[in-house]
Amino acid sequence: MTATSPTPRKKYDLNFARWVYENVDGGDRMAKCMQCGTCSGSCPIGDQMDYGPRKLFMMIRAGMKEAVLTSNTIWNCVSCYNCVVRCPRQVPVTYILHDLAALAVKEGYAEAKTADNARFAKAFWWSAQKWGRTDERLVTMKYYFSTGIGDGIKKGMANQKIAMAMVKTKRMHLTMPHKVKGTKELQAILAKAHEIEERGNNGQ
Amino acid sequence: MSERKTGVYLCSGCGIGEAVAMDELETVAVKEFKAPHCAQHAMLCGEEGVETIRADLAEGKVNQLVIGACSPRVMTDRFQFDNAQVIRANLRELVSWSHAPGDEDTQAAAADYVRMAITQASKTTAPEPWIEGEYSQRIMVVGGGSTGLMAAREAAEAGHEVLLVERSDRLGGHARGYAKVIPHRPPYRDPQPNDIEALIAAVENDPLITVKTNCHVTKTSGMPGKFQVELANGAGPSNETVGAIVVATGWRPYDPSKLGHLGYGVSPDVVTNVELEKILAAGQPKRPSNGQAPKAVAFIQCAGSRDPDHLPYCSSVCCASSIKQALQLVEADPECSTYIVYDELRTPGVAEEFYRSAQAKGVIFLKGKVKSVGANLTVVVDDALIGEEVPLEGLDMVVLATGMVPNTTIPDLPYENSEYAAAQLQADINPLSPIPVAGYQGEAPAPLPRPADNPPPGAPILNLQYRQGPHIPMLADGFSDSHYICFPYETRRTGIYTCGPVRRPMDMGEAAEDAAGAVMKAVQVVRNAAKGASVHPRSGDLSFPRIGYNTCTKCRRCTVECPFGAIDEDEKEYPVVNPTRCRRCGTCMGACPVRTISFDNYSVEMISSMIKAVEVPDEFEEKPRVLILACENDAYPALDMAGINRHTYSPHVRVIPVRCLGSVSLVWISTALESGYDGIVLMGCKPGDDYQCHFVKGSAMAKERMGKIADTLKSMALETERVAQMEVSIAESHKIGPMIDDYMATIDRIGLSPLKGF
Amino acid sequence: MSHQGLSSQTIAVVGGGISGITTALEAAEAGYDVVLLERSPSLGGRVAQLNRYFPKLCHPTCGLEINYQRIKKNRRIKVYTMATVANVAGSRGDFTLTVTLSPRHVKTTCTACGDCAAAAETTVANPFNYGLDQLKAAYLPHEMAFPMRYVVAPQVIGTPEGERIKAACKYDAIDLDEQESSFELKAGAIVWATGWQPYDAGRITPYHYDESPDIVTNVEMERLAAHDGPTKGKILRPSTGEPPKRVALIQCAGSRDYNHLPYCSRICCLASMKHAAYLREQYADVEVDIYYIDIRAHDKLENFYKKLRNDPQVRWIKSKPASIVPGPDGVPLVCGENTLTREIYRTPYDMVVLAVGMQPSTAAGRPAMDVPMDEYGFIVPEGSDGGLMSAGVASGPLDVSMSVQSATAAALKAIQAVSGRARP
Repeated sequence: MTATSPTPRKKYDLNFARWVYENVDGGDRMAKCMQCGTCSGSCPIGDQMDYGPRKLFMMIRAGMKEAVLTSNTIWNCVSCYNCVVRCPRQVPVTYILHDLAALAVKEGYAEAKTADNARFAKAFWWSAQKWGRTDERLVTMKYYFSTGIGDGIKKGMANQKIAMAMVKTKRMHLTMPHKVKGTKELQAILAKAHEIEERGNNGQ
Repeated sequence: MSERKTGVYLCSGCGIGEAVAMDELETVAVKEFKAPHCAQHAMLCGEEGVETIRADLAEGKVNQLVIGACSPRVMTDRFQFDNAQVIRANLRELVSWSHAPGDEDTQAAAADYVRMAITQASKTTAPEPWIEGEYSQRIMVVGGGSTGLMAAREAAEAGHEVLLVERSDRLGGHARGYAKVIPHRPPYRDPQPNDIEALIAAVENDPLITVKTNCHVTKTSGMPGKFQVELANGAGPSNETVGAIVVATGWRPYDPSKLGHLGYGVSPDVVTNVELEKILAAGQPKRPSNGQAPKAVAFIQCAGSRDPDHLPYCSSVCCASSIKQALQLVEADPECSTYIVYDELRTPGVAEEFYRSAQAKGVIFLKGKVKSVGANLTVVVDDALIGEEVPLEGLDMVVLATGMVPNTTIPDLPYENSEYAAAQLQADINPLSPIPVAGYQGEAPAPLPRPADNPPPGAPILNLQYRQGPHIPMLADGFSDSHYICFPYETRRTGIYTCGPVRRPMDMGEAAEDAAGAVMKAVQVVRNAAKGASVHPRSGDLSFPRIGYNTCTKCRRCTVECPFGAIDEDEKEYPVVNPTRCRRCGTCMGACPVRTISFDNYSVEMISSMIKAVEVPDEFEEKPRVLILACENDAYPALDMAGINRHTYSPHVRVIPVRCLGSVSLVWISTALESGYDGIVLMGCKPGDDYQCHFVKGSAMAKERMGKIADTLKSMALETERVAQMEVSIAESHKIGPMIDDYMATIDRIGLSPLKGF
Repeated sequence: MSHQGLSSQTIAVVGGGISGITTALEAAEAGYDVVLLERSPSLGGRVAQLNRYFPKLCHPTCGLEINYQRIKKNRRIKVYTMATVANVAGSRGDFTLTVTLSPRHVKTTCTACGDCAAAAETTVANPFNYGLDQLKAAYLPHEMAFPMRYVVAPQVIGTPEGERIKAACKYDAIDLDEQESSFELKAGAIVWATGWQPYDAGRITPYHYDESPDIVTNVEMERLAAHDGPTKGKILRPSTGEPPKRVALIQCAGSRDYNHLPYCSRICCLASMKHAAYLREQYADVEVDIYYIDIRAHDKLENFYKKLRNDPQVRWIKSKPASIVPGPDGVPLVCGENTLTREIYRTPYDMVVLAVGMQPSTAAGRPAMDVPMDEYGFIVPEGSDGGLMSAGVASGPLDVSMSVQSATAAALKAIQAVSGRARP
């Protein structure tokens, strides 16, 4: 992905749409979207999205970059792939949403820092990178406390019962996580993947 | 025919023998009618049965056949004999399969069908075809655009000489100006090269094709096989004889000056799709205002089409044509942004691939209504998919996808007798009716308004010298008439076939195929005309209406009511039949008040005699008798199928199939009433806009005539219920029995006819 | 007219639906010999199974009757039913077709009296009604069948019941020993009019067609509305037999979809409007929702659309439903996004009708020769030697009127091929 996407001068300026077609993973296939609504209708949390993928794609064509990259739709995708398997035009909706989310991060949109899913993703990434695995307790804590200490304690208290039940059934551990074998190598792999992604999207 | 020797053959198979006493039927034939030969057989349609008949014919024992067996709709091939007329009495479907076996009323019905058939045989002769003089096999094609060129070439490929008439100074029509065309060959993804120049060259170099440019038809008279055509071109009038005519006069764009609400006229950069074609054909696209390459272009779909204030119909091709033009713009300049603003995107069939191909190449499709087009070319769209008004700004050009107006007339040629011509069109065109939904609860929708310039002004294309007017009949939307579902080429003017966008909006690929279809019909009509044979739907029928001039009163009903304009008037106002225009429905016969029109094998007298042949019970027997005159294409098959399903109904009815309800003569009704019948029912198909009559207006004519009969009945002190018309479709075999029984209940209620026994 | 030394001037038409019938008749009425080959026991194909045509709401049997009368009167047409083409050899003017005849077990001496059906006890799924009901193992395909001749189902061959059926026939028309046979046919031109089949709704997995009797296809709806259908023309909710109160008509069930049929099947929009009209005609209070992507009512068909648009009890929802799931009590729930309102809906219906698309018959089995086809299986013989044509839906997704147009054009091409002037 190139550093920045162009800012449209006006609505239905194709600058942004063309950039998305060319730079976002699966964007070229998004061009064939016929606005049938299968994706938004298939989404298990479609009613918790401000626009849903179908409308979001139309907004991309309409050059509504600001609204697209600040939308919660790109963050709320749970990667169930219902939309991808059903889309009659075979648009890889999930990839596109995730890549748009990455773009929002890259371009520094405030929503990319504050959106629940963005914060959760960061906590997840932190754990995965550090130990090579996700640790339920630490990821949750990091996520809870990402909006401030007071907020974190409040959320923790509210979910105390669930946490205790998870500990009891050994779904969550109070000890520190064990690192996977070869954590160093894993970290190197992830770094390389990141590098390839950057390069790949620069047209190489 | 030499002396009539009618053999009566009675089949007892399929339950007929169990339902009725065959010997009594034979007695009817032999004793009552003195039939020279009568035989019974257990399976007449079997090889042995047919062989018996063949042997009797060979021996000269008989020369005309009455076959009392199954319906005339079945075993047709089995009971077909060279040089012998076959009359069928339907003892199976109409008698043994629909009435109680062994019942005296069933027996009476069978006997009456035998009586009617023998009577019919005595009043019919094998048709002598009308063949006179020379017949032309040449086909005239009117219109030298892509459809006409294809038609000319197709006819020549089939071995026919062609006369191609084009009004402008060159061939090619609209298509000549197209750089590329909508694809109709796989893979259907990209605009296709335009083959028009090669087609023009092929036509111009074809030894079978004569091309006349700067030429139009000023008069057409005659009939299939013998059309006399007067042509006008620079050099003055000339005359030609042709066998059939294919009309491919095409279309013109809807007048964009009426599209001010879509910005036409606010800027030279607002153009129609037709104007854009010229820009695209000229090479690198340029804005009309400044000659610069356009960088952002919006197409507005349905400009005039699907709009009750303009063209009510969908012009079908505009979606694909805008896609094509947008792709051409993108191809010329990949940086050019193109937008297509649509309401419903219509790329049916494989054209869906073309739509996707345009999307993949970056053409943006927006669904919504255009609110305004500003002088700075800002198009404000009420974007239905985003749910807000979206301005399209910074456009260099706006393209209006205007619709197609059919050239069913020559709009720029004045026509001196225009009042007469306009009257014909008004009579032809019926306004659209509300939806035919029986359970309809809501407010009935208003009929769709006609387009403002309909009927279109201008001169008739062929200027037909027909009694019924100079125009080729057209429908409410201004396109030429066609029986447009099962028989799209059937029109009300035999031997004249329209194709291409004058018949229905269509693109060039479809029009090329349509041209071939129309030429097929033209080839067929010239070959059949020369044999005196009818074309669709009574294909091959050799009979035609003969007029007895000694009794004709010149009332003109036949000339006015013929659905096909087959009858003209001579200088003394006598009717003149043009036999090869005739489709043999008999509507003229039904119209004639003095019974002077007849066919060799179908006449007023024949049916009247059949009606009289039935034994009507007298007033003391208390058994009603009802005559059913059933359209042979719909009601009669429905009765047959009622029999096949063994639905029973009153045995007191007697059914006579008629060619069309339009052929029903009022004489038959009076004959039946005078003979003591208690009721008469006309069963036929639906008239009106969604007519199902294969003769277009036949059932409508019958309805109109029957409308007037109530007064006559009253004057005879008869109940109006005694004569009824029922709409029966072929798919109502389950309803037809109950309909008959309901009518019998009505007769029960009003009592037997007071005219019995007179 | 030059015959160019062609060894045969006969035109072989493969497929006896409306297109094949039309090609055969148009060519024969211009004076050519035609052999019409039909796979099933009677002519008429898919249109015979339709209740009515749009937009006139008239009955297909009306036009078929005229066509059958034309065939009966025309000695130039030879009809073979239960006939398929196993092989084709040769080229324009000199084709040899190997035609396979499946056993019908009923000879031409059949008078259609029905005694065999009376003697039969076994029932078989009724193919004419898409298996929605059963018929006797000796049966007339339907009341308008042409040829009007019975069929004995293979299920009773070799059984005592088969013998009883044979014994019941007074006309010795039953042949229980009939085997598959074949013959060779010489022809100068071949017209493929092999038509289409409804797309298999079971393959659209999110729609759960196989899991609810109340989810039916558009072709089944035609039979449900037909007087000779399984419900005698009364449209009833299959699970309960009650009149439906709310019905959903789902467009593009398979069409315009890379996962199924990539093209638009053209007819489904109008066919569904016709279904709305059937329902509204039968039930004054029924509510009908039409789910669509684009309504494709071209040319004058727009009028039919506008008429239906004016009906207050027909709602139009621009949305391709994402899924149809059997809800509580088995009531089908149609789920998706209304693209004009952004509303996510989950609406229960008494009945759901899937407007499945037309798939060329070539999808089920390729023709017996290497005919050029496009990527979807439609036969596009352009560029061949001129001896092959395709007509009707074999050539592309067409409605009836366009099929007849295409078939008439194919007839001309065929007569050009067998008798036109010499070509390079």
